[in-house]
Amino acid sequence: MSDPTMSDPTTSAPPVSPSTVVLVSGGSRGLGLAIVTDLLDAGLRVAAFARTVTPELAKLAANHPDRSHVGPVDVTDLAAVQAFVRAAEQHLGPIDGLVNNAAVGQDSLHVHTATADLAGIVETNLTAPLQLTRLVVRRMLAQGRRGRIVNITSICGQRGFPGLVAYSATKGGMDAATRSLARELGGRVLVNAVAPGFFASEMSAVLGQTQLDQIVRRTPTGHLTEPDEVLPVVRMLLREQTNINGQVLVVDGAASI
Amino acid sequence: MTELTRARIRDLMGQVLANQGKVLPDDDDADLREIGFRSLDFSELALRVEDETDEELNFDAAGLRRIATVGDVLDFLADLQRP
Repeated sequence: MSDPTMSDPTTSAPPVSPSTVVLVSGGSRGLGLAIVTDLLDAGLRVAAFARTVTPELAKLAANHPDRSHVGPVDVTDLAAVQAFVRAAEQHLGPIDGLVNNAAVGQDSLHVHTATADLAGIVETNLTAPLQLTRLVVRRMLAQGRRGRIVNITSICGQRGFPGLVAYSATKGGMDAATRSLARELGGRVLVNAVAPGFFASEMSAVLGQTQLDQIVRRTPTGHLTEPDEVLPVVRMLLREQTNINGQVLVVDGAASI
Repeated sequence: MTELTRARIRDLMGQVLANQGKVLPDDDDADLREIGFRSLDFSELALRVEDETDEELNFDAAGLRRIATVGDVLDFLADLQRP
């Protein structure tokens, strides 16, 4: 076979239906929790895992027992992830949407980052989402389903920031994987990435105030990205008919332009 | 593990600056920005300490952001060597 992709340029794939059952990794806090909340509010069925199920995520699950499935799973534990996916599909039905959100941050210069920490960042932010994607796509294809994948990456994948070398490498890696997966899956699964700029909280905590002030000054919209500003983009990629595929959508107020 | 004294770390810091034609003042309160000691100079100094102690010194950038004076540098690296 000369073409390793599943694309057939002579036929057009029918549109991929909006996702109805979405798996969110790292859904216990921050942007992940906001995505889970937003998708539940939109009426979807949502499975979410994180290393720890926070009270906020547990409350969401309690409020939507028929439409949610949550559990404590380390995204790097493939066996546990597989078991969670099976249980989630038994509870909610076949997964037709995946949001790869789980990630660990970094706050250390490359030369002073312990080798074990460096390996951990790559494992959590790059290897694990590739494994989870493989797992979910295999299930989709085996059951003749279509689906959508949204990778939450970062502006760090495209621009340089000191103290975030390994983190940036993993996010850039996921951006690259997004493009190749979109090609490989031939329109049967839409694969896109959302790359937020720095949030005022969380990741921004690893930057110095001077760096944050510089970013705000260079941002035409005059403010750092808020999770609420990312949610409509994620929801659009999961739900709307747009023909967007293989793209990395930057949400940073044009700070990086 | 060999633990470098504060005085030895100061010697090494002086070498890092001297290689750039700069002088390390005697005053521990001297401001790093005023003497031109930048974050990459701090990395070079930390790696020189590693060379002498044969022990990796890994640390987060958050600690570096609190460093403003020569004394802060010496204290940070001296503390870092202690388990």
